[in-house]
Amino acid sequence: MAAVHGDVHGHDDHHPSGIMRWVMTTNHKDIGSMYLWFSLTMFFTGGFLALGIRAELFQPGIQILEPELFNSFTTLHGLIMVFGAIMPAFVGFANWQVPMMIGAPDMAFARMNNWSFWLLPVAASLLVSSFFVPGGAAAGGWTFYPPLSTQGGLGVDMMIFAVHILGASSIMGAINIITTILNMRAPGMKLMDMPLFVWTWLITAYLLVLVMPVLAGTVTMLLTDRHFGTSFFNAAGGGDPVLFQHIFWFFGHPEVYIMILPAFGIVSEIIPTFSRKPLFGYSSMVYATASIAILSCVVWAHHMFTAGMPTVGQLFFMYATMLIAVPTGVKVFNWTATMWQGSMTFETPMLFAIGFIFLFVIGGFSGVICAIVPIDIQVQDTYYVIAHFHYVLVSGALFALFAGAYYWLPKWTGHMYDETLGKWHFWLSMIFFNVTFFVQHFLGLAGMPRRIPDYALQFADFNMISSIGAFGFGTSQLLFVYIVIKCIRSKEAAPEKPWDGATTLEWTHLPTPAPYHSFEKPPVFKPVSH
Amino acid sequence: MSGDHNKPSASVIQVVKAVLAAFIGIRKKSDLESDAANIKPSQVIIGGLMGGVLFVVTILLVVKIIVN
Repeated sequence: MAAVHGDVHGHDDHHPSGIMRWVMTTNHKDIGSMYLWFSLTMFFTGGFLALGIRAELFQPGIQILEPELFNSFTTLHGLIMVFGAIMPAFVGFANWQVPMMIGAPDMAFARMNNWSFWLLPVAASLLVSSFFVPGGAAAGGWTFYPPLSTQGGLGVDMMIFAVHILGASSIMGAINIITTILNMRAPGMKLMDMPLFVWTWLITAYLLVLVMPVLAGTVTMLLTDRHFGTSFFNAAGGGDPVLFQHIFWFFGHPEVYIMILPAFGIVSEIIPTFSRKPLFGYSSMVYATASIAILSCVVWAHHMFTAGMPTVGQLFFMYATMLIAVPTGVKVFNWTATMWQGSMTFETPMLFAIGFIFLFVIGGFSGVICAIVPIDIQVQDTYYVIAHFHYVLVSGALFALFAGAYYWLPKWTGHMYDETLGKWHFWLSMIFFNVTFFVQHFLGLAGMPRRIPDYALQFADFNMISSIGAFGFGTSQLLFVYIVIKCIRSKEAAPEKPWDGATTLEWTHLPTPAPYHSFEKPPVFKPVSH
Repeated sequence: MSGDHNKPSASVIQVVKAVLAAFIGIRKKSDLESDAANIKPSQVIIGGLMGGVLFVVTILLVVKIIVN
């Protein structure tokens, strides 16, 4: 992208050692690593709950989990994966990559960055320990609709507190990212010169600032309904439980895009690198990201078609939702066009990125199907919806996270990951993911409801297949942990620039591994035309 | 962002065109370069928000026409 001008990375490495290094750190790379390790831990915690669910559903009947505990498993699986695994993982990527990609020395608010992270283990502890309090963990689903959530025990209060803390952490993280991107870019780097990952995070951060306070308000209203005699969501007191659904999904739908836009950003970095071509339609990618973000704020009620709504409302939310396919289609077109006639190679990051495109499109299409009111009324609360959002969140967000991790591991650790094992990880994930979730489309269309520990006999075969797939998928992820640890401990240094098609600042201007302090002097940035 | 104050102000038509192009996600490169040179971020944000409102109103109108 530009030539190296002078010494652009630091030389002093004085910081506390041992555990205090991590407690006190204000370094974006340390904090990024902590975010990533935290999210990986939460990924396995949520995964353990998922395997509990799938073990119970392996056969009809109640075998392992009592129904109440099963409900807690589904609830906490969703909450932990969304707020504990996927979101912090993307913030970890932002912490590591945004300063390096824009030529900044660190995040704008370094101390607040430390605070944003250290709130997370507190919230996670509340969520996990709620299993062991009287009444058990929250069991009303990850969407915690009243009246179930106004009736639960102490576990629900712990969940509400955890969501408050996670929301505060996310808002601080988002403000930090916005401020860093808008104020700390290398001289000469205009907004339209920024790498796509930075753009997608800028837009995501605005979405976070917009909707996280709404979530905080919602759970606060829930809390006052539970303990302070209000009746926001209690029909007997003049309130309305459907109000909760509106407010929750006004947060919840943009939240979906909060979890996928940074994934678009990662894939938009990887596809050009391994196609050895600039990204096709850079500006339209930026526009499409912004359009998706705006549209995401006007489609929330498509989650509530069966809750009761005038026809005008149903049609409005149906049309608006279906129109999201336009900017999303632009993105898929651009990724495909970037690969067109490129000198492609298929290292692990590229495999995960292509797997992302292929499977995300399936999830996107089933989303358009769910957007159609008469179909949605049929598939509402069935396994079809479960299949749909796991195609978007697992093979979408999670695959992009894996792609990004493999892509930047050499830059972060200074060592190369094991390519053969990486490919094994991809193919095992790809196969077992589809075994787990593709059959759930059939289960849903056949009428199997979600969030049930037992089911009618006609659903037995597909459930068994899905459970086998889930255990295969879960086990395959242990391979990822092994690959990462092997990479960190490797004695062999990675090449300075292992990806010859990479053009962003962290590859062109920084040594591998990236020094603890980078870009203390801003680099001179020379834009390339997109 | 500091250089934005010195930019010449773009015409309303140019902002409208840029926002509409953004909604579809397609823009000719020469037009994009002229947008980048002339349109201030504040104009894009105001234009984008108005475009969003217009989008909602348009769908509502279509829905009303269909329902009636």
